[in-house]
Amino acid sequence: MIFQQNNPIGEIFTILGYWDRILSGFLTTMWLYVWALMIGFFLGLLLSLFRQYGGRILSRVSGGYIEFIRGTPLIAQLFFIFYGLNIPVGTWNVLARFSIFDKNITFIFLNHRILFGIIALSLNSAAYQAEYLRSSIMSIGAGQLMAAQSIGMSRVAGIRHIILPQALRRVIPAWSNEAAYLPKYTVVVSLIGATELFGQAKSIVADSFISLTTYIIVAIIFLITIAIISKGLDTLHKRTEIPGL
Amino acid sequence: MWKSYEDLQVLKGVSFELAEKEVKVIFGPSGSGKSTLLRCINMLNPPDKGEIFLHGKNITASGVNLNEIRTRIGMVFQHFNLFAHLKAIDNVSIGLRRVKGFSKEEAREKALEALERVKMAEWADHYPAQLSGGQQQRVGIARALSMEPDIILFDEPTSALDPELIGEVLQVMLDIAKAGTTMVVVTHEMGFAKAVATEMIFLSEGAVIERGTPKHFFMKPESERVRKFLKQLEVLYGTHEQMIDLLEEEEK
Amino acid sequence: MPDLADILIYIVTKGLAQTLLMTVLGLLIGFVLGIILALMRVYAGKELNWLASGYEKIFRGIPILVLIYIFAFGVPELFWYVDPLQRPLASIIFALGLRSGAYQSQIFRGAILSVNPGQIEAARALGMSGLQTFRHVVLPQALRLAMPSWSNEYSVVIKDSSFAYAVGIVELTRAAYNFSYAFRGFWTVSIGVLAILYFLLTYPITKLFGEHQTKKLKKLGMGGG
Repeated sequence: MIFQQNNPIGEIFTILGYWDRILSGFLTTMWLYVWALMIGFFLGLLLSLFRQYGGRILSRVSGGYIEFIRGTPLIAQLFFIFYGLNIPVGTWNVLARFSIFDKNITFIFLNHRILFGIIALSLNSAAYQAEYLRSSIMSIGAGQLMAAQSIGMSRVAGIRHIILPQALRRVIPAWSNEAAYLPKYTVVVSLIGATELFGQAKSIVADSFISLTTYIIVAIIFLITIAIISKGLDTLHKRTEIPGL
Repeated sequence: MWKSYEDLQVLKGVSFELAEKEVKVIFGPSGSGKSTLLRCINMLNPPDKGEIFLHGKNITASGVNLNEIRTRIGMVFQHFNLFAHLKAIDNVSIGLRRVKGFSKEEAREKALEALERVKMAEWADHYPAQLSGGQQQRVGIARALSMEPDIILFDEPTSALDPELIGEVLQVMLDIAKAGTTMVVVTHEMGFAKAVATEMIFLSEGAVIERGTPKHFFMKPESERVRKFLKQLEVLYGTHEQMIDLLEEEEK
Repeated sequence: MPDLADILIYIVTKGLAQTLLMTVLGLLIGFVLGIILALMRVYAGKELNWLASGYEKIFRGIPILVLIYIFAFGVPELFWYVDPLQRPLASIIFALGLRSGAYQSQIFRGAILSVNPGQIEAARALGMSGLQTFRHVVLPQALRLAMPSWSNEYSVVIKDSSFAYAVGIVELTRAAYNFSYAFRGFWTVSIGVLAILYFLLTYPITKLFGEHQTKKLKKLGMGGG
């Protein structure tokens, strides 16, 4: 066999022996994911509203931002923020230590790498989420806003009470796609030295010299995570469905 | 012929013969199985039970080359079904080239002839989306004609058209009927039926209710249902009949 | 002191060829795979359909960086026939291709399914065989319908090729990184130039194919807009 010199079952157990690092990495990955998704959502919502209703200048600016982010690689964005902006934040860690069984697990809430990682991922995801939100807003049509204004609502109130509740429901299926697959983009943060799941995997490989098995286990963890999130969002979609919308 | 989809029996024993140069008009309420019947004849939707003979050959038998059979049974569709990526001329010539194996030049020549017959030759280089519904349907008829089939099936060829476009299509259909083309036409255009049908068949709920010449149907139809249905058609399509009369007169 | 032109020339001459090579080959592998998978999903039986959809799920869910590492460090033997120095490059092209195949499969499947069924019926009524119908009616339209999404996939692959940076291949991103590393203090400009370069490589093409092609398809009355 050319792929495996060693006993594959033995390798799997060796790697699972590093479960403390895998767990800590996974928590960091999910930590990055949740922040990026949330911040990205609110920024994206803002961008889509600016783009749609913001008047000429705001609409152009947010449109340009969305196109530029979508037209450049995430790595370039991350490097620009991490290396390019020269923000003097120093080196520091906000972390928690706890032990499970006999292992000490360190979970870093925030350090300069995680911070810049979250910023880059959020700014990136915002552009993609904005596109989904905008096409959802566009699909509702100008007629409803006009109808809202015709019963005396202000434009802002119309957007807030008539357009948004519908747009947010309608966007769920398309948005779920972005939301479910966002975890896989967080691996990019390992390139600036954050120890999320993939960063931990590389350190496990460096210690154990077992590469294929380690990376496949990481791949499987991502697949399961994405499948679970997908399923959860599906349920959310079904719960919030309104007939005819 | 019998045909059912799951529990729904669409055709319950429909049978008829079609002689050469005959024009058979099939009509009846929607959901009566008219379109299914046509799709059985060219085996796009083979019947579950029953047999179809073309020039004495049983085409429902197993082992028959259906593609070859279909080149001999043309079809014109309600929604035209022109190939959207091909110009009118290529819509007509593609069957000649790819199925009948004609050379590019031969196919083009024959296709132009067919377009000429439906008065669409000058539109040969237009894409379907650039044509009106009536023009598209004429190209659809040319596509069927060009294959020189033994029979052409028409599946409600004018029912998807705006009223002002129906005349040009009916005119073309009258022309080819008078030229001796064997046709099975599902339509509610009673004026057309009156003018050229050799026999009319009233289909309802998958069964033949009544059949006869146009004269029979318009003078003294037997069943109450046919009478009622014809009455409704008259309200809806009465003006079309006058249009056919006009077309006829113009010709004279 | 390097000026803007120096930075641009450095990045382009060192990196553009590799970036484009990875993109083109990755897209090509993905195209062949995508067509096959799409055909399996639309026309094949249950088992093959299940297989293709499983493939899509797996390769869409694994981060591209993990995939690159699996091929580059996990199974380098897979590329025994390639010159050892070129193996990292081969593994990235492979990873990009397999991943893109999963996405292109979805693109082509959608395109095939959006060809009007009435036209397929018309082709069969003309006496075309199933294969002829696919070849002359479905495929030419499906390829046109797929164009806008396909141009988007091009943009995805060229952007993802930047992950080759991680295994030391000198493409655009690594070139910009190396340059900044050599001239500390030039991070802002060189990464900025890098981003603009990528943008110029993606935006005009997705714009052209996306909007222009969508308009053209609408004019042909294909796909319902």
